[in-house]
Order: sequence, then C-alpha cells, then structure tokens
Amino acid sequence: MTEEKAQKIVKASELDHDLRYKISEQVGAKTLLKCIQCGVCSSGCTVSEFIDLQPHRVVASLLLGLKDVILSSNAIWTCSLCHRCTERCPKGVDYSFILALIRNLAVEEGNAPKEYTDTIKTIYENGFVVPYTEGMKKTIDRRRESFELPEIVSPNLDEIRFIIKNTKLGNLIENENNDKKEDK
Amino acid sequence: MSDAYALFLGCTIPLKFPHFEKAFREISALLDITYKEMEGASCCPDPVATQSLNVDTWLTLAARNLAIAEKMDLDIMTVCSGCYETLKTTRVLLEEDKDAFGRVNSVLNQINYKYKGTSDVFHFVELFVQDEMLEKIREKIVTPLDNLNIAAHYGCHLIRPSNILQFDDPERPESMDKILNILGANTVAFASKLECCGYCARLNEDIGFKLVEEKMIDLTRLDNEVDVMVAVCPACVSQYDRKERLLQRNTEEDLNIPILYLPELMALAFGVDQTKLDLSRRSVKPKKLLEKLKI
Repeated sequence: MTEEKAQKIVKASELDHDLRYKISEQVGAKTLLKCIQCGVCSSGCTVSEFIDLQPHRVVASLLLGLKDVILSSNAIWTCSLCHRCTERCPKGVDYSFILALIRNLAVEEGNAPKEYTDTIKTIYENGFVVPYTEGMKKTIDRRRESFELPEIVSPNLDEIRFIIKNTKLGNLIENENNDKKEDK
Repeated sequence: MSDAYALFLGCTIPLKFPHFEKAFREISALLDITYKEMEGASCCPDPVATQSLNVDTWLTLAARNLAIAEKMDLDIMTVCSGCYETLKTTRVLLEEDKDAFGRVNSVLNQINYKYKGTSDVFHFVELFVQDEMLEKIREKIVTPLDNLNIAAHYGCHLIRPSNILQFDDPERPESMDKILNILGANTVAFASKLECCGYCARLNEDIGFKLVEEKMIDLTRLDNEVDVMVAVCPACVSQYDRKERLLQRNTEEDLNIPILYLPELMALAFGVDQTKLDLSRRSVKPKKLLEKLKI
C-alpha cells in the first residue's frame, strides 16, 4: 500500500455512528437512509465539476459517519440549489435539503460563511434581505413613489429578532455585534 | 385557485426592482386579479442563507408570514420564485412533520402568532396558466408578440422539487411557454432550457458565469434569432442581465440577449405605456425588441 493510500485509512473509533440519525431525524430528511448509491444525484449535479466530493459520496460519507470528510469538503457550500438531485432520486432522497441540514451542522460548529451571516444580520436589522433604513429607505421610497407604488409597511422588528434569537441563531448575531464593536 | 389573494412581494422586487412590481400590478389590474397587501410581512426568508444557517429559523420566519395570510383568510400569491419555494416548502414540511409544527408554533405563540397551515401558496404563473386566465390574457392583447422568438427560462424554484411544489412537469415544463404562445410569440426549444442560472451558488461566481455563458451561447446558435429571454424570478433576471454584460467584454460573440421579467413582456403586449415600466433599467437594453414591436 502506498503511503498516500495509507493516510486515507479511517479507524472505526473515528466514525460518528449517530451522524446519519442526527440528520435523518430532522424535518425533511426522513428519506436519507434509503440511499442506494446509484449516483443519479451526481450525474445531474449542476456544480459537479466545482466540487471535491460528489453528492452520492457526500451521502455515503454521511451514512458511514465520516463527519470531517463532509465538513472539510467544498461540496457543502457550493450547491446552486437547482434541486435536480432531489427531483431525480429514484428513492426519494431529498439531497438538496439534506445538504442544508449539513450546512446547519457546520454552522453549529462555528463555520458559517461570512456572506450568509451578513444576510441574516441584514434580516435581523431590517426584516428584509435588502437594507431598508435611513438613507437607503429614503432612496427606495422615492423610487417607489416615482412608480406610484404603495408604501412599504415594515415588519415589527422585535418579532423578527425574537424568532432569530429563539431558533439558535442568536449567538451568530451576538458574535457579529461583538466583532463589530471590536473593529471599532 | 381563489378569488382573491394575499400579495406576498418579498424583498428583492419591492426594494431593488420596483419596476418589476409595477409591471405585475399593471397587468394584474388589466386581468382583474384581486389581491390585498400583506402589511408587516418580512423577508420570506431567503432559501439560501437563512435555510443554510438554521432550518428552524427559516421555517419559523416563513410560518410567521404564512400566519399573516391566514389571519387575512387568503391564499398567498408570490411574484418571486425564491419566495414561492420558501413559503410552499415550509407549508409542506410543517404539514408532514408534527414535531417541527410544534417547535415553530412554540416560538410564534410567544409573539402572538399561530400557524395553522390553512393558506395555500401560489406563484403568479400558476394563476396565469389556468384555462380561463389564458383566455382573459388573449382578450387583453393590444400588441401581439407574433414576430418574436422567445426563450423561456423557468428557473429552478418554480418547478423543483416537484413533490413539494406540485406544479408543471419538472423535466418538461410548459406553463411559461403556454402564456407566451397565447401572447402570439414563438417559444424556442433549446438544450439548456432547464439549466440553473447559478445565482444561489453565490460563494463561487465562476459557477454563475459558466452557466450564463453556456445558456447564452446555446441561444445564439439557434436557427431563429432569439429576441428576448423571459424569467419569473428576480434572481434569474438580475443574474443573466449582469453576467451577460460582463462576459461580453471577453468574447467576440454577441451574447447580449435582453432578459425580461414575464409581467414586463405581458405589460408590453397589453399596451401598457413602456415609459411606466422603465425598461432601460438593466445592463442589456431591450432596444431592438421594442423596435421590432414598434413601441
């Protein structure tokens, strides 16, 4: 066996045997365990050439409990959400949604891409994914007025913030706010 | 389908592309579509970042929006495929999963909302493609699109995954083509018709560039010159419009095919004054198209 191959050996003790259930028990992921490794998901994947672990290999790694292999792959953040994998799976495995749950897992471990935390922060501050306060609000309102469109009634931000904080993303917002303070 | 709808605009259209909203409202008025504004609705929330960060956050914010429509006792009409996917998927998942339904409501109850699951969710394409609505569309035509060759871009979140969205054929969709054909246009068949625009793979822009280029090259190779590509999602429209322009800088090919939001093209066919629509607000101007339509 070459040295390179030897390095790929994973010891049984390093496997997370509950990983598959952690995912399959969640909303929308009930079909995970039915995967037969046929590879239809990978053959139609929009971003296939951009990823280092093809969809059916991500599922195989998930079923084996190779958490680090999955979380260190670029496959989890490269998906274009075209849903063709889910659409074509003969066993009804919702891969694109399972990938969202894997992303959630990566976020829990502190690996959220900045672009995404910026988005949730914008929603936290505006209720929308587009900034809608002060100067921005004025510009947007003026443009809407020129089209004779009705005024925007913003959501109650306390409600939006309550939801974000009470569905485990509070830390993300707080970390962001702290980072901001430190930057200053 | 219902008699009246709760109009869910989302954020991208009303805040970034109000001219799309204008086109939608103009044609809705002409087609006698009755809707009420959803005051206090938030971001749907977006099916990329929010869902990726935490599925429960995504479901709960979406269920709050659905609960607003339930209070209005109306089904939701969306004007964006991203909103359509988020709201409809949330509705289906919460119906299937009682635990998630309970978790979502335990948060919502603390801010005096209750999600029941009584309001359905539609994209306007679903409404427009109904037989009686197609007839109405035909009656409203002022400028038929007879001499146009149009590429319909369905995008992903209007038709996939079909077990959740349950609209049109996911591998051979025809709803947009039907609407465009009623307006008189010839819709072209092309190999990359069902390809994704790549907008949601936003952490790697190369993916978007590759997908946009492939589709544009595909369209320029057809026997009939394509006058315009049409989409029903603001992300798809902005993705092609912006990237076509950037790609054009490095190629000899003419990749500048204008892309319109379906309601904009419908408004033109219905004789809505094009100055109201601000069609110049994009990178690839639909100048030739307007000349061809003599407006």
